[in-house]
Amino acid sequence: MSRRVPQRKKRKAIPVPIASMGDIAFLLIIFFLVCSEVSKDKANLQVTLPFSEHVEKVKAQVVARVAVDENGEIYFDGARVENAKEVEAEVRSVLVDTVSDDQRHVQFKCDSSLTKEVFEPVLKAIAAAGGIIEAVGEKNE
Amino acid sequence: MSRKRYSREKKHRSGEIPTGSFSDIAFLLIIYFLVATTLVKVKTITADLPSGEKSSETQSDKTPIVNLRGEEVFFNDKKVEMKLLNERLAALDLGEKEPGDRVIMLESAKGTPYENYFQALATISANDGVVAIVEEDE
Repeated sequence: MSRRVPQRKKRKAIPVPIASMGDIAFLLIIFFLVCSEVSKDKANLQVTLPFSEHVEKVKAQVVARVAVDENGEIYFDGARVENAKEVEAEVRSVLVDTVSDDQRHVQFKCDSSLTKEVFEPVLKAIAAAGGIIEAVGEKNE
Repeated sequence: MSRKRYSREKKHRSGEIPTGSFSDIAFLLIIYFLVATTLVKVKTITADLPSGEKSSETQSDKTPIVNLRGEEVFFNDKKVEMKLLNERLAALDLGEKEPGDRVIMLESAKGTPYENYFQALATISANDGVVAIVEEDE
């Protein structure tokens, strides 16, 4: 009975093997490097998205991102552009080397309160440049 | 003095590369990637809008037209709710038709909010329609 006490103490002293922690961590880094895509959205963009019951998670890989904020200011891949004509030129330059329809998807994010006069020229510019519009919205519950 | 220097140099030569902080660096990099990446995909509707000039020869008068006048929606000049528009478009069975016959014209009045425009666009796209934006005559 008296021997049991030191045995228990010995068990507590067993160290946790942490030698492979670095390897595990680097494997996780490689996983994120391969699977992730750096966000090109402008973080402080003020956009209230429209609602619809028909929206679905985007399946295609978008080649460019166009956004129109609540003040009607237009952004192409996070950088401010002056007007719809500039959007058309930028989309054209992105799509110049495309060979299939899968490479023509352009994300379009627009504030729901904006009127036709503001957003329609941008939509037409993307279409005129050959882009397939992926209009971002929220799902109606 | 010389003894001390000698011993210091020897210690330096025999020292191994410290790898104890490698896991810390790696986990810091993981945190960076977790913060900088987007794992959630956004929800969208896909609309391939054809661009071109209006042609009276190719454009049939029977092409369905959706009109947006402010908050109101009209389908072939009849006022409808968005749900009813969906039913009417579903009845056209556009998915079974040739791409040229799937065209739905979308006309909007000045001041139409993007919310309504988006819903109409989403309804047409969900029913396999090809949206043709109608421009106002200047």
